[in-house]
Amino acid sequence: MSTLYRHWEIIDRARTGEFMDEDDFLPKHFSPTLKRLIKKYEIKYDPATPCPADSAMADRIWQAAWELLVEVGYYNTDSHRLIKVTDEEIKEALYMANDQYIVGGGKDARVMKHRSIEDPEPPFCIMSPDITVDEKYHQSMCMAYLKEPLLDGLCGPILETTFGNLIESGGPSEISGCIQHIQNQKMAARLLGRPDTFMVAVGTAEHDSGQIAVSDEAWGVQKTDARLVGTLTEFKTADTLLNRALHYAQYGCYTGNLTGAIYGGWCGGSEGTAVTTVAYSLIGLVIHGAIFNQHFPFHLNYGSNTTRELLWSIAMAGQAMARNSCLLYTSNGFANAGPMTEMLFRETAVHAMVSTASSWHLWEMASTRNKYRNRATPLEARLGCEVGHAVAGQKMTLEQVNEIAGRLLAKYEDNAADAPLGSEYHECYDADKAVPTVEHMDMFRRIKDEIAEMGVEFPY
Amino acid sequence: MSMEQLSAHVEAGEAEETRLLTEKLLKEGADPLVLIEELTKTMAHVGDLFAKLDIFLPEIMMSGEALTEAVNVLTPHLEASGGRQSKGKVILGVVKGDLHEIGKNIVKLILETNGFTVKDLGYDVDPLVFAKEAEEMGADFIASSSLMTTTMPRQLEIIEILKAKGIRDKYKVVIGGAPTSQLWADKIGADLFCYDAKSAPELFSALLADN
Repeated sequence: MSTLYRHWEIIDRARTGEFMDEDDFLPKHFSPTLKRLIKKYEIKYDPATPCPADSAMADRIWQAAWELLVEVGYYNTDSHRLIKVTDEEIKEALYMANDQYIVGGGKDARVMKHRSIEDPEPPFCIMSPDITVDEKYHQSMCMAYLKEPLLDGLCGPILETTFGNLIESGGPSEISGCIQHIQNQKMAARLLGRPDTFMVAVGTAEHDSGQIAVSDEAWGVQKTDARLVGTLTEFKTADTLLNRALHYAQYGCYTGNLTGAIYGGWCGGSEGTAVTTVAYSLIGLVIHGAIFNQHFPFHLNYGSNTTRELLWSIAMAGQAMARNSCLLYTSNGFANAGPMTEMLFRETAVHAMVSTASSWHLWEMASTRNKYRNRATPLEARLGCEVGHAVAGQKMTLEQVNEIAGRLLAKYEDNAADAPLGSEYHECYDADKAVPTVEHMDMFRRIKDEIAEMGVEFPY
Repeated sequence: MSMEQLSAHVEAGEAEETRLLTEKLLKEGADPLVLIEELTKTMAHVGDLFAKLDIFLPEIMMSGEALTEAVNVLTPHLEASGGRQSKGKVILGVVKGDLHEIGKNIVKLILETNGFTVKDLGYDVDPLVFAKEAEEMGADFIASSSLMTTTMPRQLEIIEILKAKGIRDKYKVVIGGAPTSQLWADKIGADLFCYDAKSAPELFSALLADN
């Protein structure tokens, strides 16, 4: 069950907790504590193994993450106070956490359950472009994703305009855009014959008012859907975020905890990124009442997580959580390259296989560093999810994944800094019919064959 | 003890040691202008290391703090000898509705350590506040960051407010942040799209020189 029954105590701490100047929080409190814990627990990144298999280190990362949260707390930028939690509260929340939930409704309902390392059960596959899209392509893109057979859940593209007006966070245009967003998404699901598909919505809402405006069982985000509560990197929140956590719980939908620890930022390197990612899952559980955690650790310069320093963090964080909790968590891929490039397909495959073997569910795939409008398609998500099903189905070990990931990394890693932008959605999809072009499908099949030859046994 | 040692303290982020050695070198007759020029080179080196992520944000921030200690010691002496000329005055902030400030903080550090004077307005800053603060500071630049697509329109609002107040041409308007682009800068009429923190000093200086 959700741990939001503690919400009022959390809110109280946001007002009465220890005062700290925001300028001091990260440089003088968070980073030094994290650095000390990495040293204490002897956590060490090894670039030779992008997908390590080190149970002892995974357990140490879990312990470091726990201590990080207890010692540092969670900073509320509105009250300038620390929200602290105790060991007892974390233990209670972990005991109360369910290891599975039924999400979506009717015949479209799916079970999302805790995965173990090298779990033979396939990952739960949420598909999302994660980027903004032209208004005229929004519903088409939603439909294109909903045509994907392995899709278990959809997080639709983000609108920048609503009826031609730029959407401004916190303003009326955002509320309008959010309603347009969820209605496009729901209509697409109905037209595709899977009306009760699990949805995570709406990404167009940056402000809490946008989220609250779409809570409606008849036409909006339903109780069988989920919404996300973000975090300000690192370990910071604000009332507008806490408002969401409370609203979602009171409305009755599922809550996901959205975080992206930044490699190269206040977390430092791969070790700190892994520890912080795990700690965020505890924050999601204890403070936001989340039933799942949506993580997208990323590289400060590239904005991606498909290079080895980030893959290591993803692998170790997943293994730490799998061994020490029954939590649910999705691994959100961020690629450097854009659609209809061989590099994007390879990046997606590596992200998916490392994540799947390390116990994650999948959230694929933000392409082109999640930066360029219209530059994402369902086809890369399809490949990622097919890889995920394959890796699980054939019971691929971490060592096997590490070997294949290394071979694929060698094909793209040197191009991370100047990755190709690729094509926009309407250039590699028939936007009217919401299907990929022949050229795009040919490239998909070619790279899929290449990966199959490396030992990945695709289910079909 | 030498200039090399002082640079090493700054690179290691040793603020107290930096302050003490700066004071010592001054007593021994070191030229404050030479010291500040050398330390600027050191910080540029640190910036290069950070750009490649050979070091991470906490380390460069500590180096920045150490440099600030040295600058605080040197400033009175620099003023006595004609002063260290600022390369430009910058109003900097994250736009209204946006609470993400890591990029803005890095830009601030890089600009300051390269000789710019920066007034940091923080995050979630009303467009009108950018304009008012620029007037008060006598700024050369108004620089805003946006991390979200739905907060990017606030960058346009800054320009519209400057136009409405009849002061658009007094300032160089700079935009940055993950979802922004040259295309967006052109569309809203900004003077500069700053694509990364490391390039900021050079881009800002070139823009001012063009004038």
